[in-house]
Amino acid sequence: MNFYLYLDKKTPIHRLDPRTKLFLLISSFIVATIQQHPIFALIVAMPIFAHGVLSGSLRNIRRIIGLLVAIGILAALLWSIQAKGVTPLFWKFQVEPLLYGISTGIKIDSMIVAGIIFLSTTKNEEVAIGLVKLGLPYSFSFAFCTALRLAPTIMGTARMVAQAQKSRGLDLQGGGLLSRMKKYIPLLVPIFLTTLRYTNQLSMALESKGFRAMEKRTFLLEARFKARDYWITLGLLLVLALVIFIRIKGYGEIEGLLL
Amino acid sequence: MKDVISMWKYTKMVVLVAVTAAVYAGTAIPFKGIQIVPGFAELRPAGAIPVVFGLLFGPAGAWGSCIGNVIADFFGTLGIGSLPGAVGNFFFGFVGYKVWGNMGWLSSKADLNIRTKRQVFEYILVAVLSSVTVAFIIAWGLELLKLLPFASIGAVIMTNNLLFSIAIGPFLLLLLYPRAVKWGLYWREIIDNEMVSRAIMPRVGALCIWVGALGGLIMGFLLSTGLYHGQLFHFAKGTTGSGVVLGVLPFLLLFFLGCLLS
Repeated sequence: MNFYLYLDKKTPIHRLDPRTKLFLLISSFIVATIQQHPIFALIVAMPIFAHGVLSGSLRNIRRIIGLLVAIGILAALLWSIQAKGVTPLFWKFQVEPLLYGISTGIKIDSMIVAGIIFLSTTKNEEVAIGLVKLGLPYSFSFAFCTALRLAPTIMGTARMVAQAQKSRGLDLQGGGLLSRMKKYIPLLVPIFLTTLRYTNQLSMALESKGFRAMEKRTFLLEARFKARDYWITLGLLLVLALVIFIRIKGYGEIEGLLL
Repeated sequence: MKDVISMWKYTKMVVLVAVTAAVYAGTAIPFKGIQIVPGFAELRPAGAIPVVFGLLFGPAGAWGSCIGNVIADFFGTLGIGSLPGAVGNFFFGFVGYKVWGNMGWLSSKADLNIRTKRQVFEYILVAVLSSVTVAFIIAWGLELLKLLPFASIGAVIMTNNLLFSIAIGPFLLLLLYPRAVKWGLYWREIIDNEMVSRAIMPRVGALCIWVGALGGLIMGFLLSTGLYHGQLFHFAKGTTGSGVVLGVLPFLLLFFLGCLLS
């Protein structure tokens, strides 16, 4: 079973340098966060969704449609209750907080979609190498990358332990939620112990292979900034400057909204 | 906080970061489907892991919680909210090993092999503090980013993490501590003494952490729900945005000061 979202495709987005993809992700976050009005939030969301189509990530986006709708509704509801406005709508609800809630829902959804696109187009190894190239210490990137690889293994071990216990007669499906959870707790012990034992083996294996023996290290996978990466980075910088300029000029604000 | 940086020099600690992160993410991901606050908080039995692994593996547990939370977000909820999530989860694993044994008469003055009532009591205190810490940091961050009101998310994160760290944590610690010591994985046995930060005022530090975290969460709730200027038998409208952000900020600074002192 594949737990990861990466889709092995040959789209222009897949071919970008991991740093460019990281910058695309961060830019999407900034652009999505900065505006207040739902119309502006929608304008920002459109290129993010177009980016999803271009990168062939729609399959993964479709998987979380339910979650995106739930987030939209919840954000609209929470901010309608918590923020303040001046134009009454009905009962205790006002127009401005509702608009802000809808906008926040769109913003959060846009950011999650941007995250899904990043993960659909970037391999774990690329994430790690991107982090190193951005100046993060190798040990940190190594830990990050190893954890990414280990997480599905641990989930696999958990399934294996559960199946082994089921074959010995343990009923994991029967009873209420609390009783089922109680049955799962003893299963955590072999899972955690297997993983802890693995720690010693892995650290010995790493040290025997000269982990961090050299100050500067080489990588099997090399990331290189190409012309298209420079163009996209430049384009993103211009978009960011434009969005910040629009915000400073006061466009996209919800008048009468009190936060 | 010297050990937070110096631990990266030890291969075993680096591996423990990866293992903690993988266990945390691996336990959190299957529950991603049970969303409590869609996109921000889901049912999290994994909430016990940062507390227990933080106590066992020290700074590696803290970094592992931070990375593990980001990896769990990789499975559908990665967003700018992952940033306060990472910081909050770092301190979720961090505060436990900093305050254990430094809470004056409340401390059991014993190791982590929790067998006495006093040790269980100290563990519960640590679990409460850790859950309050992660809740107030994430809620403050999300309020700062204007993504979710403090009270809505803070209450959910605190309850969710507290429930599971108290229900599962003591059993995990009881089972894992003797083995971690036997296999040479307890963090104080890995890091050399000179690489561990020498606490300037551990008890004052622990007190500052308690006051900062608990005070921050309470202040955030009071401002966010409107109770702060509410009157008896009257509904008051809460505050959002800069009011909450600035109101909680002094407590956040006090909390960081406590981390530096302990």
